[in-house]
Parts: sequence; structure tokens; C-alpha cells
Amino acid sequence: MTNGDYYQLLKLLAPEWTVVGTVLAILFADLQFWRNRSVAWRSAGAASILSLGFAAAAGLLIWKRAVTADLLGGTLVLSPTSQYVKLALLGLAIVTAWLCTEGEFTKHVGEFVALIALATAGMMFLVSTENLLMVFVALELVSLSLYVMTAFNKRSPRSAEAALKYFLFGGMAAAFTLFGFSFLYGLTGSIHLPTIAAKISWHAGDPLTLVAIVLVVAGFGFKIAAVPFHLWAPDAYEGAPAPAAAFIASGSKVASFFVLGKLLSVGLPGVGGSGAWKAFSPGWLAVVAILATASMIFGNLAALAQSSLRRLLAYSAIAHAGYALLAIIGGSQPALLYYAITYAVTSVGIFGVVAVVENRTGNEDIAGLAGLRERSFLLSVALSVFVLSLAGVPPLAGFFGKFYAFAAAAKLGSSLGYWWLVALALGASCVSLFYYLQVLKQVWVAPVPEGQGKVAGGWVVSILLALLALAVLVTGAAPELLIRFLK
Amino acid sequence: MDVHAAHNAVTAAAPAFSSRPEDIAWFILLLPLLAAAGITLIVRRSNFLAATFSIAATVTAFVLSFVLFLMFGVGDAAAVTSPFAWLHAGELAVNLGVTVDKLSTLMLLVVTGVSALVQVYSVGYMHGDRSFPRFFIGLSLFTFSMLGIVLADNFVMMFLFWELVGVSSWLLIGFWYEKESAADAAKKAFLTNRLGDFGFLLGIIIIWAAAGTVNFAELSQKLGAHPDLLGSLASVAGLLVFMGAMGKSAQFPLHVWLPDAMEGPTPVSALIHAATMVAAGVYMLCRVFFLYQVETAWPAALAFFGSISALDIIGGIGAFTALLAALMAIQQNDIKRILAYSTLSQLGYMVMAVGCGGPDAAMYHLTTHAGFKALLFLGAGSVIHACHHEQDIWKMGGLRKLMPKTFLTFALGTAALAGLPPLSGFYSKDAVLLAALDNGHPVLFGLGVLIAAMTTFYMLRLVLVAFLGSGRSEAAGHAHESPGAMTWPLVILAVPSVMLAWVPLGDYLTHHFFTDHGHVHGHGSEVISFGATISAAFGLVNHILFEPFNHAPLPAFLGTGALIIGAWIAVTLYWNAERDPLPKLLGSFARGMRNRFYFDEIYEAIFIPLHDLVARLADWFDRWVVGGLAVRGAHGSTELLGRALRIVQSGNLQTYTFFFVAGVALVVLIALK
Amino acid sequence: MTPLHGYLFVSALLFAVGLAGALTRRNAILVLVGVELMLNAANLNFLAFWRYGPNPEALTGVMFVLFAIAVAAAEAAVGLALVIAIYRHYRSSNVDEAATMKG
Repeated sequence: MTNGDYYQLLKLLAPEWTVVGTVLAILFADLQFWRNRSVAWRSAGAASILSLGFAAAAGLLIWKRAVTADLLGGTLVLSPTSQYVKLALLGLAIVTAWLCTEGEFTKHVGEFVALIALATAGMMFLVSTENLLMVFVALELVSLSLYVMTAFNKRSPRSAEAALKYFLFGGMAAAFTLFGFSFLYGLTGSIHLPTIAAKISWHAGDPLTLVAIVLVVAGFGFKIAAVPFHLWAPDAYEGAPAPAAAFIASGSKVASFFVLGKLLSVGLPGVGGSGAWKAFSPGWLAVVAILATASMIFGNLAALAQSSLRRLLAYSAIAHAGYALLAIIGGSQPALLYYAITYAVTSVGIFGVVAVVENRTGNEDIAGLAGLRERSFLLSVALSVFVLSLAGVPPLAGFFGKFYAFAAAAKLGSSLGYWWLVALALGASCVSLFYYLQVLKQVWVAPVPEGQGKVAGGWVVSILLALLALAVLVTGAAPELLIRFLK
Repeated sequence: MDVHAAHNAVTAAAPAFSSRPEDIAWFILLLPLLAAAGITLIVRRSNFLAATFSIAATVTAFVLSFVLFLMFGVGDAAAVTSPFAWLHAGELAVNLGVTVDKLSTLMLLVVTGVSALVQVYSVGYMHGDRSFPRFFIGLSLFTFSMLGIVLADNFVMMFLFWELVGVSSWLLIGFWYEKESAADAAKKAFLTNRLGDFGFLLGIIIIWAAAGTVNFAELSQKLGAHPDLLGSLASVAGLLVFMGAMGKSAQFPLHVWLPDAMEGPTPVSALIHAATMVAAGVYMLCRVFFLYQVETAWPAALAFFGSISALDIIGGIGAFTALLAALMAIQQNDIKRILAYSTLSQLGYMVMAVGCGGPDAAMYHLTTHAGFKALLFLGAGSVIHACHHEQDIWKMGGLRKLMPKTFLTFALGTAALAGLPPLSGFYSKDAVLLAALDNGHPVLFGLGVLIAAMTTFYMLRLVLVAFLGSGRSEAAGHAHESPGAMTWPLVILAVPSVMLAWVPLGDYLTHHFFTDHGHVHGHGSEVISFGATISAAFGLVNHILFEPFNHAPLPAFLGTGALIIGAWIAVTLYWNAERDPLPKLLGSFARGMRNRFYFDEIYEAIFIPLHDLVARLADWFDRWVVGGLAVRGAHGSTELLGRALRIVQSGNLQTYTFFFVAGVALVVLIALK
Repeated sequence: MTPLHGYLFVSALLFAVGLAGALTRRNAILVLVGVELMLNAANLNFLAFWRYGPNPEALTGVMFVLFAIAVAAAEAAVGLALVIAIYRHYRSSNVDEAATMKG
């Protein structure tokens, strides 16, 4: 290792530095200059600084989009794909930051927005490494930021409760992951994914490898909220402040899916086993197939019984984690990323609508959306686009994401071994339509409740929501626009 | 002018639009979308302009379709496609492309033609509705989506538009969304269709995974070269694709949505639920008929089907739907519902034709049916409009004198539907019956004849009760003829209902689509050209009119016989009847017919107790196992009453962690096995 | 029993003890302690694999453990802050109390 390496490292990490610099700038401005300003002013200010800083980081990423690098033994691995994923993460973070201007859940908005930026930095590191240590540290940076963000509404006991559950559950998941990592290290003597891939081999009846795989997958299963590691999700979605929930549902998901996909396909390609019909054999394919099955069934069925909008979204997120796992099984990175990114855009959009509606009405139930068509046409249309996309109705992005992921799984192996999973996924998405239509029914059919007036978000949030809805429509109608960046 | 001259004239005229026919097809496809966008963005406030935009676009599309039809349908131009890459991701390559051939140009004609007339009609029918422009946006969007299905050259694109059709029909059925029943009907239609689409998409994915392409032409070629390409999944894949048609064309057991969809405005019923959208399923089956021409093969788990082919099952389902719906139609009293069940029945007829190996017969019946069923619906709309939104036929009566134009055209439509020679319905029905007979399906043939008799019966019942006799209510007594915007489309639609089969079209329709297989013995095999002299034309007309009786007398005579018997019974029972005599004659069977054989009730009876059972089990489990034994806490389990499957989510952190660990252990166990 | 197996056995035991604590303790702080024990079990694994592995001259295992300890410390800090937040609302750090959201 030479000094040149470090210099190059500094240069390559310029976007990440910019993000970290943004964190400091936000904290400094908020603590130093804005002490006497109103919360609304400060949250708009903090979101503006974040947007500027992230725009600069995005500029750097676009400028260096063709970069490929592999430094310090896989600690920093850059590829055009990872750059584009980072771009998506920056965009999601900007929207999340602006959601803070809807509703005053805390007086310390500067810190909150800084935490969003910090979590983003963690995610950016997470997607640009092939080293287990780096994965672990970055994952914890993301998680710790999100725990704190969840607890940020100090007046709400539910926020504290959600954070504690999220934290203790996450801590345990992290312990499992670390334990799994230690076994991977023990089995191969390396924490570098390609080296692990070269050294690990499947010894018949060797349970240790399988245990390592399951422990690692369990840790990521927690991040992506796959059954049976999903239990924190509904409570965290319900109790957290809306921007925190939005970021948990979007940015965190994209980064985690990307890393899980990379970990399994780059690090453990030789020990996939099989989850094919009547040809089951131990390996991560089998493990992931089990998680996907459980997530799709449980998520959709539980969502049917919800009356709280946020809990419904949580269960729908669990179901969607199941669908996305099919793309991992299919081994198609573009399918996975397309799915994860479009899903994240949709989620952050829905949480945006939720934030505005809750802020104006104080009602967190699906019934709180009653008659939204009369109260805000923009929000109604945007919400309908998002919800229909989640339901997988063409030509929205959700349809194509599902089709791509399911097709990838169907094509795997010979003779359609995974047809059962594809059939299950399609059946599950049929069921999901029931509860999505419940939401739309409230918006378009239910009468406006007595004494409820117009609902409107701030103009920045409104524009952002409209843009997100447009993005869902355009990337669905012309998926090639997005996919060519993800290959 | 013979066909080639016509063709030449057309190609000479074509450069005005474009030198390539596929460009014209693209233009046809985009016209209604442009209209919808134009109305949304520019003229949202003006009723007049909205209607003008929409109608102008559709009429232009119709004219262009006619040009294409002369080139491809009547002329001999080879099919062309014009794909451009939509998506290339690894092995998944999907193009957006239009297919212009005999099949699609005919369907283009049907869709744009009916759509244009329905839009003109809507100007009168929707007059004064406060969401008038929104209605035309919906119609334009629908037309666009429907044209997309017709022109699609691959499965994915077809599915895309397939769902778009679903969404736009959902918007149109639920047009009066403030009305609870309309919103519910829209939802039911959407959900039932999704059930069918689930199978459709699964079929598409299986076909893509096995054959590596979703393009119709490539697929057809590959299957032609390697009939065993799909392996043991051949028949399953075919049936899964058919599930899509079952949803859209409302085949048993997914038929329940169509009658409810009548909650939408009547022009919507005419366009979507009679002439075009519901026919999309049949069209799709014809488009992918090559899928069903491969050898029957079942996977081991379904080996008990033995030599029963996918087509046999399709034919059976079609015939059963046709019979069931005809039975239900006999005891309905709502004028639109009678027509709805009649549509169901006729769709079953078409699907049966496909199942008998006669896609051309199915397309023939589809085309004629589109004409007379749109006519019947629009006629019904005219009646409903005149009677102040009264839909019960027993509260009408005597409308013959008050609404002469509507009556006359409605009667013609009825005669065509009943299959009275020499109206168009007779020939297409004859083609269906012939397909059944010639391809060795005597049972389906018999059922077809029986259904023909029932069709005549319930349609005559409708006409006798609603139009003849004397007015049974105030509203019926004061009815008056509808405005010109509504009656002219009726008159125009009456023309093809009567004469579609007289022009050489009829002959062309029966055996020109699928030249590669000779299942249907055409009515006369000589080449017919426009250039024949007038006397030859007379001879030709003569020949066409009576040809079925000469060529294949059995179906022709039996079909006519069925018509006479059905009519005789209807006249005996309903001539000047004041109330329905059937319930007394048939007792509880009539009640069953009236109540649609309790299908909705049966579905509810199955699903609601299941839901309750799961909820109760879950509650029990929650109270005694989770609450009492597994973990302490889980307070207030009564709160959880009915919250099925959420038992795990007790709110207690340590329950969560416990399940986390149990989950890890379980996954290890399952994966190790 | 080789030394490696001995260490692995101890670490497995430590993991199990930590897990048992996390699952059965009502006090949130003690649950946190359980989680820390589990993390340390993993650390012990890393050190054992490093020391008895094929190339102990590369300091991979040690590095990992150092980082893991730092991360665990940060986690403990956040955890304790969250326990205080819970305590302020419920006047108790008992995880059973904080169970209002469910279903």
C-alpha cells in the first residue's frame, strides 16, 4: 500500500466527503445561526443545505460515473452501477429531508436532517464495498442513524417505543450477522468477498456453512424486513416520525438489497444449493426461497386486516421484500435494483402523502384519507399512482419491476424449477390488490368527513411528490430509461 | 375495381399519410391517446370541444383502419410488423411493435367503428352530465388501450395494454363513482380480471422461460419448427394464457363481474361490455391460436387429463358459459342485464368455437356480434333514456309506437342475434356450429343448437314485453323518441347487423385468417372479387345467402329450427302477457335462473366463513398459545379478536426476538433437509 | 479437543448465554447487555479463527474485532439513550411496558 493509494481513495470518495461535509454544515448552520428562528424556517433551511450539498455530491458522481476501482483489498469497490445506486440514494434522501418540513415533530430539526445525511453516507459506503468489515461498519452507521431518527419525536411515547423495539431487534440481528461473518471468516480465512467465493465450498452435510449463511441472511432479512425477521417493521413504521419511516422504507431498503444481492452472488456463488420444485438442496437459494415465500404470504395476508395506513404500508413492504427476493434468486442485478429503486421511490412518495395528510388531519387510519379527491387533487392522483404501482398495475413501475424479477426467477436453472415461487408471487400480488383498492376507495369514493377542509402540503413537497409520481409512470412505461444504468 | 386495383389505389393514396402501412398503424394507435391528452390539457372546460376531439380522432382512426383493411384484409399484402426496442435486459428482450395483418386490421375496424358510433351516441346520452369531458377522456383512453391489444406483436405489450384496458374500463364503470354500487361493480370487475390476469402473466412467463421469446411471430415459427418446445408444460401454458381470456371475456367461473358492470353508463356497456373489451379475450385466443396447435402434453401431476387437450377444456368452458348465461338471461327483468347475460352467452359461443378449432368462426361471430350487440345496447340505452332511467322491462311496454326508430332497429338487432336468415348473425352462428360439427364435437354442436333456441326465446321475450303490448307504467306511457345523435348510430349499426354477411366480407371472414389449417370448410371456395359484374354479383349474393343450406345443411337447418322453436315458445308465453308466466311453470328452477344460480352467494358463502374460521382460529391461538404459554404479556387479547394472522405481532419486544430466533432455527432446519 | 474447538465452544456458549439473556430479561438494559454478549461471542470467534487460522500474520481478525468493539460501544450509547427516552414516558425501563403498538 502506497501513499498514492490513499490519495486516490480520497479522490474517489469525494461524493462521500461532500455528504459528510453537508452533515457538518447543517449542524453548524442550525446551531450557530438559526437558534432564534422558527422550527419551520429551520427545517426548510436544513433541507435546503442538504439539497445543495447532495446536489454537489450527485454532480461529482455523474462526473465520475464511468469509474471502476478496487482499492485496499476490496474495501472500496466502485463501478458505474454503484455510482448510479448512490445517485438514487441521494435523491431519496433529498425528498426525505423535505418531508421534515411537514409537521413539527421535534425542535431539533438540524440534528434530524444531519442524521438523514449521515445515514446516507453509511448507505453510500455500504454499496461501494466488497469487504465484510466495511459492510458491517457501514451497516451499523446506517442502522444507528435510523434508530435515533425513529426516536426523534420526544413528545410521543410511540416514537420511543418504536425506536427501542427497532433498536433491540436490530442489535440482535447485528449480533447474528457478526456471528455469521465470523464463521465465513473462519471457513475461508478472508473477509474479501471474491476470495471467500473462491475458497468456500460445499462439503456435503456441513452444517456450519449453512448456519453461517442463515445467520448472515437473517441480519439482512432484518434490514429488508423479510419474514420471519420483519417483526420490528410495523411498529417502527407506525411510531416513527414520517420522514424517518420514509427513509427506513426507501433508502435503507435500496442499500440493503444491493448489498445482500452482492453478498450472495459475489461472495457465495458456489453454495447456492437449490430451491427448485422437488429438487430442494441446502444453500442460500433455498434459504432465500423460504424467506420469500413466507414474506409474500404473511405480508399480504396481514395487510388485509389493517386499518392503520402506516401498518398497512409496513405489511405491504414485507410482501414487497418477498417479491424482490425473487430477483436475488434469479441472480439478476438489474432486476433487483430496478425493483428496489422504483419501490423506494414509490414508498417515499406514499410516506410524503401520509406526512401531509397526517399533519393536516391528525388521523393515521386509512379512513383519514376519506374524500381526499375533494380536498387535494394533486395528492389524490399522486397517491393513486403510487398505490397502483405497488399493486403492480401497468404501465407503472411496479408492474415492470415485478415482471422483471419474476421472469428472472422463472428463467433460473432448467425446466422452470422455480415456477412454484413465481406462481405464488403472482397469486400474492393478486391478493394484495384487495387492500390497495381499500385505500383508493377511501380516496375516490368515500364521502368527505364533516368539517374537513382542504389538505395541502408545502409547495416544495408538492412539486417533489408530483415529480415522484411522474418518475413512477415514466420508468414504468419506458423501463429502459432506468435499466440501462443498472446493467 | 378488383382487389388489386383497390390495393393500388390505396397505396397510391397512402403517401399522404406515410409510405409504410405500419406507420399508419402506429398513427391509428396514437390518435385516441392524443385526443385524450388534448382534452386533458387543452379543452377540459368545453363539452363541445372535448366531444369533437375525441370523435374526430376515432373517426380518423376508423378511416385509416379501413385503408389498412383494404390493403391487408382484402388485399394480399403480407403481414408486416414494426418493432422498436423497448427494453433489452439480458435475456429479456421486449420490443414494442405493431402487427398489421388480416386479423388485426379486421379487429381495428370493429374497435374504431363501434367506438366512433358510441361516442357520437354519448353526446346525446351524456348530455348535461357535469363530468362530460372526463367521460370522453375515458372513452379515448379505452379506445387507445384496446387498439394496443389489437396491434400488439408480442405477449408483454399485449399484457400491458390488456391491463390498461382493465384500468380504463374501471374508470368508466366507476364513472359515477359517488354511486356506491357503481364503485363496487368497478372494483369487482377489476379484481376478477386480475384473477384471470394472474394466470395470463404466469403463462407468459412460462412461455418466455421455455421458448426464450414473447414475440408472436417468432413464437409461432419456433413452435412450428419444434412442436415439443414447451415440453410437458405445453397444455398448462395454453390454459394459463386462456385464463386471461376467461377474465376479460367473462367465462365461467370468472363471469360474475360482467352483469354488475352494467352499473356504468349505457354507452360504456355498449362499447366495453358488449362489442370490444369483452371480445379481447376471444381475439387474443385467435391471435395465439398457434399455442394450441401443439401436441397435448401434461406434467406428471396433471397426467389424469390424458388425451384431453387444452382446446377441449376451452371448448367445454365456453359451451358451459354459453348455456349457463342463456339460462340466467331467461329470467332477468332488467333490460340491460338481459343483454349482459346474452353477451356472456355469445362470448361463450365464441370461446366454444375456438375450442372446437375454429378461430375463424369465432372471429366471424365476434365481428357480427360487435355490430348487433352494440346496436342492442344503444337501443336499450335509448329506451332507458326515454323512460327516465327505468330499466325493468315489466314497467315498459307499448314502446313500439312511441319510439319507432328505436323499435325497428332493436328488432333488427334481435333478429340478427337470434340468427334469422339472412341476417348476419345467422351466418356467423352457422359457422360456429359448423366448426363444432366438422371438428368432431357433436355434444358441443348439440349444446350450440339448444343455446340458439334459448337465445331466440329470451330476446323475443324482451322485445314482446318491452315494446309490444301496452304501457305498464307512467314513464313508459310518456316515452318519446330519442334525439338524432342517439338514433342515427342505431340506424348505422343496423346496416352491418343485417348485411355484413351479404357482401363478400362474410365469405372472407369465414376462412381467410388461418390459411395454414383447413378446419373450417368455407362457404364456397371460389375467389370472390369486387370486379364481378352486376349480374355475377346477383348470383353471388344469391349464392352467399343460401349457401349454408346447400353446403352444410345440417347446422343450417337445425339452427333455423332452433330459432323457430324458441320464437314459438316465446310468442306463446309472452304475447300480451301482463306478468311473467314462467315462474309458475318452472317453479324453483326459474327462481334459480333469476338469482343467477346463486353464484355470487356461493362465492360469498365460501369466502366469508373461511375468513371467519381463520380469524377464530387465530384468536384462539393468540389467547391460549401465545397469550398463555409461549410468552407472558400479550395483554388484552380480546382486542385482537378477528385480527387473523397478526397473532405474532403482539407488541411485545421479546415475542419478536423469540420469533426471530425461532425463525433462524426453522430456516436452518428446513434448508438442511 | 484442539484449542480452536475449545474457543469456538466457549464462544458458542457465550452467544447462547447472551441470547438467553436478551430473550428473558425484562429490563431493557439487561436485554442490551445480552446483545453485547452476543457481539462479544462473535469477536471471540474472530480472534480464535485469526490465531489458529492459515495466515495469522495478516491482522484481519484483530482489525475486525477492534472495529466491532467500537461499533458495539456506539450501539450501547444509542441504546442507553433510547432506554432513557422510554423511561421518561413509561417511568420504567421494562420492555413489557412498551408494548402499546401491536397487530
